[in-house]
This record gives sequence, structure tokens and C-alpha cells, in this order.
Amino acid sequence: MLKIKNLEAGYGKVHVLHGISIDVPKGKVVTLIGSNGAGKTTTMRAISGMIAPTAGEITLNGERIDGMESFTIAKRGLAHSPEGRRVFATMTVTDNLILGAFPRLTGSRPKGDVPADLDRAMDLFPRLKERRNQLAGTLSGGEQQMLAMARAVMLNPEVVLLDEPSMGLAPILVEEVFKIIENLKSQGVTMLLVEQFAAAALNVADYGYVMENGRISVHGEASSLKNDPAVKAAYLGGGH
Amino acid sequence: MNRKYVFASVIAFVLLALVPVFTHNPYYIHLVETIMIYAILLFGLDIVVGYTGQVSLGHAGLFGIGAYTAGVLFLKLGAPFWVIVPASIAVTAVFGALLALPALRVSGPYLAMVTMAFGTIIQILINEMTFLTEGPMGLKIPKPTVAGYKFDEQSFYWVVTALLALSLLVVHRVLRSQLGRAFEALRGSPVASDCMGVSVYKYKVYAFVISAGFAGLAGCLYAYSEQYISPNTYNNELTVMFLLAVIMGGRKTRMGSMLGATIIVLLPKLLDDLEMFRMVASVLAVLMLIGAIIGIARKMTTVQTMAVPVVGTAALAMFAFWLESITDWRLSIFGLMILFVVYYLQDGIVGFVRSLLSHRSRGAQMSHVAHAVDSSADPIIRAAKNGGDDVLVAKEVLMQFGGLKAINQVDLRIKRGTIHGLIGPNGSGKSTMMNVLTGIYVPTAGSIEFEGRSVVGRTSSDIALSGIARTFQNVQLFGEMTALQNVQVGLHHTFHSNFVDVALNTSRYAQEDKSATARAEGLLAFVGLADLAEEQARNLPYGKQRLLEIARALALDPQLLLLDEPAAGLTAPDIKELVSIIRKIRDHGITVILIEHHMDMVMSICDTVSVLDFGQKIAEGQPADVQANEKVIEAYLGGTAT
Repeated sequence: MLKIKNLEAGYGKVHVLHGISIDVPKGKVVTLIGSNGAGKTTTMRAISGMIAPTAGEITLNGERIDGMESFTIAKRGLAHSPEGRRVFATMTVTDNLILGAFPRLTGSRPKGDVPADLDRAMDLFPRLKERRNQLAGTLSGGEQQMLAMARAVMLNPEVVLLDEPSMGLAPILVEEVFKIIENLKSQGVTMLLVEQFAAAALNVADYGYVMENGRISVHGEASSLKNDPAVKAAYLGGGH
Repeated sequence: MNRKYVFASVIAFVLLALVPVFTHNPYYIHLVETIMIYAILLFGLDIVVGYTGQVSLGHAGLFGIGAYTAGVLFLKLGAPFWVIVPASIAVTAVFGALLALPALRVSGPYLAMVTMAFGTIIQILINEMTFLTEGPMGLKIPKPTVAGYKFDEQSFYWVVTALLALSLLVVHRVLRSQLGRAFEALRGSPVASDCMGVSVYKYKVYAFVISAGFAGLAGCLYAYSEQYISPNTYNNELTVMFLLAVIMGGRKTRMGSMLGATIIVLLPKLLDDLEMFRMVASVLAVLMLIGAIIGIARKMTTVQTMAVPVVGTAALAMFAFWLESITDWRLSIFGLMILFVVYYLQDGIVGFVRSLLSHRSRGAQMSHVAHAVDSSADPIIRAAKNGGDDVLVAKEVLMQFGGLKAINQVDLRIKRGTIHGLIGPNGSGKSTMMNVLTGIYVPTAGSIEFEGRSVVGRTSSDIALSGIARTFQNVQLFGEMTALQNVQVGLHHTFHSNFVDVALNTSRYAQEDKSATARAEGLLAFVGLADLAEEQARNLPYGKQRLLEIARALALDPQLLLLDEPAAGLTAPDIKELVSIIRKIRDHGITVILIEHHMDMVMSICDTVSVLDFGQKIAEGQPADVQANEKVIEAYLGGTAT
């Protein structure tokens, strides 16, 4: 579904990614773990076109998407729930969600049933339903995070990128977020997940990639990574 | 600023001073003189536009005030030159403070409109106050006479050159000092500036005043240079030209201001002459082509993005040779060129050239870092142990937004030297509490005493200076400033030197600057960011940005440090590092309030934990007790809290 080959990217003069390759098969959840500054978020941003890759290939369903603008990539069916939420603060929760379906409404993606999906998203996140007429900027951090995830799903995407969905959430909500990911997975949504709670991420994922200094150091089945002593020592100590 | 720059500047000024020796044509001398006068104004405008990030369309008005102060003082009072120059600066600076008032309330397009109105009013006032200004007739002023010597066109040129050099020196010193950092901090994050004790209010006014001072000097020199001033010079077209000059030249650089001044003075003249225009268009096309080739070769840009500008400039050159008369096309060409620069060179011409040359300069910066970190002294100042047991006592705090009670009758008692955890579901009012404690919100009711003194109703910067420092849940760094500069902004309170100290580079300033730099480096080393000191804050990964916020907050020498979700987005090993940093901070006697969702972290380092839910305190006590509390488990911890 989503294939990344020898991707290189960075910010201005700073080189962050030094040729990474990731494979996200259809219907699977792949997680990217690594310490701070390893390049996880940069990878996500490069995939969704928020920064231009300097080398390598990214293909979605066999079509090259590297070098495209973000909005074009979104039209191809890639949704990004970014680090730090980035909700449309002065719009209501409902409008935020409808905007997530924008390419469907303009005809660049199959339309499907947008109102039905809106209901479905609200059911998935009952708190958003309670607050559907509230301005997104007045939501608490956790609610904004849910909104960002729900908005991504509204695209009816081929692949969802989730960047730190549990960041800044109360423990009880962290559980909930992982339940939702589990739930999306059972509905067949393909996901690439970056998470601080590496252990929880490996629990929900099918495959895992470990990033170090802009390179993939280890990858494999999530279940085997969980038991890899090196991975355990470096990333799973403590946490969730 | 190293020796190479100083040397280059001296050479440049010597060459500039030699212009009247090479050419005796008064037209050219006057042209260069005008450029220099505009450059002085643009130095000042750049402080407001480039550094504090405000828009000002009122600078032509300030320019006019400077000119008319000179004119009126000379004609009505016969004041001598050495009185008129400082008087023009002072009078214009006062008007600058006036212009700053709207900037305290509005920003963006609104500020643009208000400042434009200011410029228009000034122009009308000059027109109408005929008893002083002779109205539309204008004023005639001869070249100044000092101690019996009457300046002529040539010697006055040297006066302007000298004052330009002086302005450059002063503006350079101001902008690299704590004042310049304060201005830049305002642009980066006003909230964070206030919480670092850098009053947004005060420094916005300060920036406008200094900026206006330069406009006043420029206006005064302009009056003497033209020897005739009239109100319609200082119109909105001129103000837009000034703004364009800063943008085209490149903001936040002195070179850009000088280049911008050259462009707005020379370009209209160049376009008068077809031969000249052809030459300029050809040179531009060749330069663009070379730039594109370098850019593509260094993989900084792609063929597609460079195609339009290269073809565009080439087309312009061809168009120039096809033209038979330029007069009809002048304005359109001028407009097109401006559009081109603003669209393609958003960092201005200087910014563009710098990014082309950046590979080399980067290496040089790195070497600076290597030798810098050797401050063995403890960068964190031990918190004073005076006062009672409680650092902070909040009683029945109520914070109401419309009908919503974000904080509802909460009592908090923070014991000195402890780490006090504040937990609760998202939206329970924890961050609101932080904002109330730091003066960002004024509580609807209740009392808050810090070190026995009420906090309620005081400004954020005042509270910060009295010893409460904080970090932000949504990182609020000064993005365009380096990591080191971010911490230096936190050290702003250690500076007692004023504008004069900075301008004269007195030993007091030099001493303070040196010790602040050393401490900032020490603080960066403390949080493990020493090797990233010269990196722009916005380029740091999220986790490192949070550490930088802690270093910046510590720079305030706080009694109480509020950490708002410092571990968000950190992986397990990074959190361990963070925990040891927080413990070390506590060991310096600094009291810490910690908002965090990582329970193992909260439970292991906090002495006391308070739990908020729907704005109310539902539990408080030792971590273990709180963790076992039924209400807390239900509202917050859920099943995983083991």
C-alpha cells in the first residue's frame, strides 16, 4: 500500500533522514519507534508532503507521491493526524470533521456517505459528539487530539499517519486512544503510527521499525521486536 | 561579528566617503546622500518590522516630523545644527511612542491601517499648521553652519556618511544586546516574553521609540540635504516604499536596509533611461541564471522551481531590447520587479544570497560552540530560603469563562522545596491554573499569595520577575532565535545596562553580557543541549524544545518553577533523563509544580499530588494515597494504573 524507499529529507541545511525504507501493507498497522530527534516526525512530514524529500521514493498504491503537494497527496487518500494536533481552532468540531472530508466533497475522492461517516466518527469519539458545536480551540488538549484523529479518518483514507496520538493525554484517555486504534484496525484501516508509548504501540501494531539518528536500525514483526533485548532496553523501559 | 566584517565595513565606508572625490557631479553626490539618509531610516524601520514583527506604515510621517522639527527650529528659533540634530531625534522619538500605542492593542492588517492613518494625520497637520510650517508652501533651509564654517554639498555629504556609520554602529550594538533579543522575543512569542519578565508592553514602545529616533535623524538630514521641505513628500507612497525596501533588501540585516535604500532610490532613476534599463535587465538575467545553476548543483532547489524566475528575468531582458521608449512602461516594470522579489525572495535579496552561501558559514558556527562550553560554575542559582514554609498559597480560586467554571473554588498550598504534582483529566483546569498563577488570566475570585505577596492583578512579567517561571504545554519558544539566545532572553533580568550603555558598549554592559552568555551556556549544558546552542529553536525536535524551555525558565532564577507536561512526546529513556533534571532543580531549593500524565514519573518524583476534575480539587496527598483513591481512579487513572 504505502512504500518508502531510501527516503532522505531535512530542514534547510539540517539533514535528518539518511535513507530510510518502510513498507506499510494494506490493512496492517506499522509503528515507528525511536528516541527524541531520531526523525520519526520528519518521516511523517515527508510522507504527507509537508516537507519535500531530497532523495528516495514514496509510493502509494504503486503511484509516486514524493514531491507532490500535501493537498494532492491527501486527495490520493493519505490522511495525516499531525503531532501537536493542529485543529482549526476557530471552527466548530463538526466543521473540523467535515473539512477532513473536503476532497470527498469536491469530488477528488469517491464521495461515499459523508453524513453517515460523520455520525460514525462521533460514535467513535463520544466526547466529540457532546461538544460538536463547540469551537475546536476551546477543547482541552485531549479532546483536540481526538478531533485530529477523527478528522483524519473522515477522509476515508487509504492510509492514516498518526503522529503521537496519545501525547498529553490522561492515562484513562491513553487507554481509550489505543482502543480506538485497535477499533480502526479491525475495520481494516491501514495505519502508520508514531508513539511515545513504544510498548503499547508494538502491542497494537503488526510490524515495527526502530529509528536511530535518521536511519532504521531494526525492523520486523511487532511481536518479535517486543522481545528483542536491545529494543527492550532502549525503548520499552518503564513507559506504559 | 568578527574582524572580517569590521574590516569590510570600514573599507566600505572609506569608499563611500571617497565618492565626492571621484565625482564632482552634484547630482550623483546627492543621489548617494539620499540613499544613505534612507538607510538610516530603514535601520530603524527594520527594528519594528524585522525584529518585533510589527507593521508600520507610519514611518513616512515620522520622517516628516524629523524634517519639520529641523526646519521649524532653524527658521523660527535659529537653533544651531548641533541642537537641531538631537532635538529632531528626541521630538520624533516622542511621536514614536505615540505610534506604539495602537500596536499594543492591535496587530496585522489593523495595525497597518492605524499606522497609515497616523502618517496621513501627520501629513495633514503639517499642511494645516501654517503658523509653524508654512503649509503647502514648504520651508527653505540652507546647509548648516557650525562654528562659523558653512557646509557645502560635499562636506555635508561627509557629515551624512559619518552619521550613517554611527547609526550602523549603534543599531548593531542595540540589536545584538539584550534589547535586540527582547525585540525579537516579542515576535517569537509574546506570551513567553511576558513570562520571561520581558514586558511586551514596555519593549514594543521601546522598539517604536528607538525606531522613530532613527527616522527623526534621517528626516533632519533630509531637510538639510534637500534644502527644501514640503508636506507632500511624506505621503503614503513613501511609506510603502520604505516597507518595500526592508522586505526587498532583507529584514533583520543592516546590509539589507542599505541595499533596500539603494533600490528604492536608484530603481526609479534607472527606469528613466532605456540604455541603463537594458543593462540592468541583462545583468539581472545573468545573475539569476548563475544563482539557479548554483542552487540546483547544490541540490537546494529543483529545476522546476527555478524555471520560472530564470525564464522571467530572461524575458524581461528581451523585452528591454524590444522596447523603443520606456516612459510609458516605467511604472509597470517597477511593479513587476517588486512583485518578483516579494514572491521569489521572501527573505529579501540578502536572505537569498545568505542561503546560497550558507554551507560555509555553518562550519564556522559549529567551531564556535566547541570551545564555548567550559563554564564550570553552577549555572543555576540556589533559591533563597527566606520566607515561610509555603511558597505559594492559593485560596478559593475561581476562574470563570462565561458560564464555564474552569477552576472552581480550588485551594492550593505549595510547600517550599518540594515537587508538587498537579494531575487530572484533560480539560480539568490544570493549564488554566498555571495561567492564573502566572498572571495570564486574572482569577474571577479568590486569593493567590506568592512569598507572602498577592499575585492577583499583577502583570505576567512582574510576576515572572518576582520568581515564578514556567514552561508551556504548547511549546512557546522564540523560533527564529538560537537555543542560546532563547536562554539569554530568560536572563534579561540580569541586565541593568540601558540604551546608552549598550550604544557606547560600556564596561558595565560588556561585563553583564559576558556573564549572561556564560550562564546561558551553562544552563544549556545542564539540560544537555550544549552542542545545539547555535541551532534555531524551531529546528529542534519536540523533546529538545521542551528541555530548552526548562533551561530558559531556569534562567529567570525562579523560586517556583511550573512545568506543564514536560514529558509529553518523550520516550521512556528521555523521561529518565528529564526526571533526573527535575530532581537536580529541586536540589537547588527551587520548588516545582509539575503537570504530567506519565503516572510512573509523577508517582516517583512528587512529594505531594493534587488532583483536579472539572475544575475542582477531588484529591490531594502523598502519591501512593492519591493513586489508591477511588475517585481518582475513576476520573483519571482508569484500569492501567498499577
